[in-house]
Amino acid sequence: MALELTPCDMESDLYVPRPAQVVLVEPQTSMETLVRLRLESGEDLGHVPGQFVQLYLPAIGEAPFGLASSAGKPDASFDLCVRRLGDVTGAVHKLQPGEHVGVRGPFGNGFNMDELKGFDLLIVAGGIGLVPLRSVIQHLAEHRDDFEKITVLYGFKAPVERLFAADLEAWAQTMDVRLTIDRPHPDWDGHVGVITTLFPALEVVPQRTKALVVGPPIMYQFVLTECRLKGLVDDNILMSLERRMRCGVGKCGHCQINGKYVCTDGPVFSFSEVKHMWEAI
Amino acid sequence: MSVRVIDQAGIRQLVEKLQQEAKVVAPHRREGRDQWAFQEVTDPDLITLEYTTTTLPPKQFAWPPRETLIRARLGEGPVQAEPVVEVEPLVLFGVHPCDIYGLQSLDIAYCHEHVDPNYVARRQQMRIVGVDCVPDEWCFCASMGTASVDSGYDLFLTPLDGEYLVEVGTEAGEAMLEGITTREPTAAEIKEVKRRLAKKLDQDHKIHTDYHNLPLRFAGAANSPVWEKHAERCYSCGTCVLTCPLCMCFDVLDEIKLDLSETRRDRVWDGCMLEPFAEVASGENFREERFQRLRHRHFRKYAYLFTKFGRPYCCGCGRCVRQCLVHIDPVEIINDLLEEHEKGGVTHGA
Repeated sequence: MALELTPCDMESDLYVPRPAQVVLVEPQTSMETLVRLRLESGEDLGHVPGQFVQLYLPAIGEAPFGLASSAGKPDASFDLCVRRLGDVTGAVHKLQPGEHVGVRGPFGNGFNMDELKGFDLLIVAGGIGLVPLRSVIQHLAEHRDDFEKITVLYGFKAPVERLFAADLEAWAQTMDVRLTIDRPHPDWDGHVGVITTLFPALEVVPQRTKALVVGPPIMYQFVLTECRLKGLVDDNILMSLERRMRCGVGKCGHCQINGKYVCTDGPVFSFSEVKHMWEAI
Repeated sequence: MSVRVIDQAGIRQLVEKLQQEAKVVAPHRREGRDQWAFQEVTDPDLITLEYTTTTLPPKQFAWPPRETLIRARLGEGPVQAEPVVEVEPLVLFGVHPCDIYGLQSLDIAYCHEHVDPNYVARRQQMRIVGVDCVPDEWCFCASMGTASVDSGYDLFLTPLDGEYLVEVGTEAGEAMLEGITTREPTAAEIKEVKRRLAKKLDQDHKIHTDYHNLPLRFAGAANSPVWEKHAERCYSCGTCVLTCPLCMCFDVLDEIKLDLSETRRDRVWDGCMLEPFAEVASGENFREERFQRLRHRHFRKYAYLFTKFGRPYCCGCGRCVRQCLVHIDPVEIINDLLEEHEKGGVTHGA
């Protein structure tokens, strides 16, 4: 028996990237580079903070990247920040302004910014976890009056690994930004220690605080414990998870964590959801 | 919808008629072996309609092992990628109830939230003629509620003595029978369908609970030693995935034409039993251990997708255990879990 569908159900472009152009390339560290893109059509990507796109480099491949900028820029551009690790990311590092790429998405749920309104926000970024959180922080900076106290904790291994130095300075004007590096370094006179060592000095009112946590897998269990010790309930601890993804649309199976697909059910989950998923963190 | 009886000459007539409009694929015996494979029909007399099961399920005709999704011209200027959907009218002739259930389940998954254009285009051009089966010792369709189906076919054949009872499932099926010599069935012949089903349901290879209980039973089974016990023998070869009518995970590959004028992106079958399946760019592998992959595959079939789509993602065809080099058996795994549950020895995950 044939499958019967109406034409409006069809998504003939599901796997087809939209043409986009590189607007700006801005190396951040020896390993990470920021790439600013714009759709060739001039349309805004229309994403929400925390969503991701599949970046397509013809003949090389496609890979998922968290969006690193807030939506609705006047020039309709959006940022990705890519660590050099494999074929696609290696090629991303060679991109120059004016070059052409393809983009599918935005995909995933992203952070519900309306639900964050009226709360104190504790943003915890480990390493390149700051990349997807930059989309959130930019949004918060642009709508600063809609949100209460904002604290940004950002931990990285060494001073040369710091991302978005200018942004961090700008955010510090309206937010409490605290940085830490893992081990002492001659070029660093700030806080030293893993990110959890920033927690004891924090004043948190748990009833009106939501935490947004993104970092490497090893970081989660320790930061989640600290958040709970501060009195946050699991519903108010949000995190964005990383998995291998091939399709971005809930078909290929790669990003599945227990019963959830990171690409369509996530990548943003609350700890209430994640704690029942034994493969999550 | 009507019910008719068709004889062998009628079957030949029907296949030849269907071949006028579409490629017809049907089970054939593999030379010199007790094995069957779906192949394009060249001579209707070579079709085998009474068979236990085919080595590979018919999913390859809706979702080929390798297919192109997009194509893009290489060179200067914006990336111009276009969708590629290669499809032809097809009749799957002689499909067992379990495999029909498998295709219906893929339909659900491939149309959920996002509609997969390539899969759907193929399924829209596909007609299905089902046939009742002869279970062997590995089949466990009786346990999965898939020993019979009441939809998903245009025509369904039940062997009678040298003839077939034909149930018409759709208007397209009705049209297929136009001009074909058939006759009215007798009351006894109609009863034969129920008699065969009752006989089929009596299977020794069975799970010791109603399959509806499986998601609940699995909920407490994450930390069970059962997974390691069975995974000990597993080679992580992926045969179970390859032969499963409901396994549907894929990878994508980018290829370049030799003259560098064009690139294409293909999807190929992949499987969660293979080691790199859940590895991310940083090198972290979220299911590094064999038992984790075995557990994931079984949770997917009997818990995750069951809960998500309201039906088990296993049709009880038994191909995974039949073809497995060491016969890792989902029925044994499930029964071990049930036994452990009875003893109260299961702890919760997380």
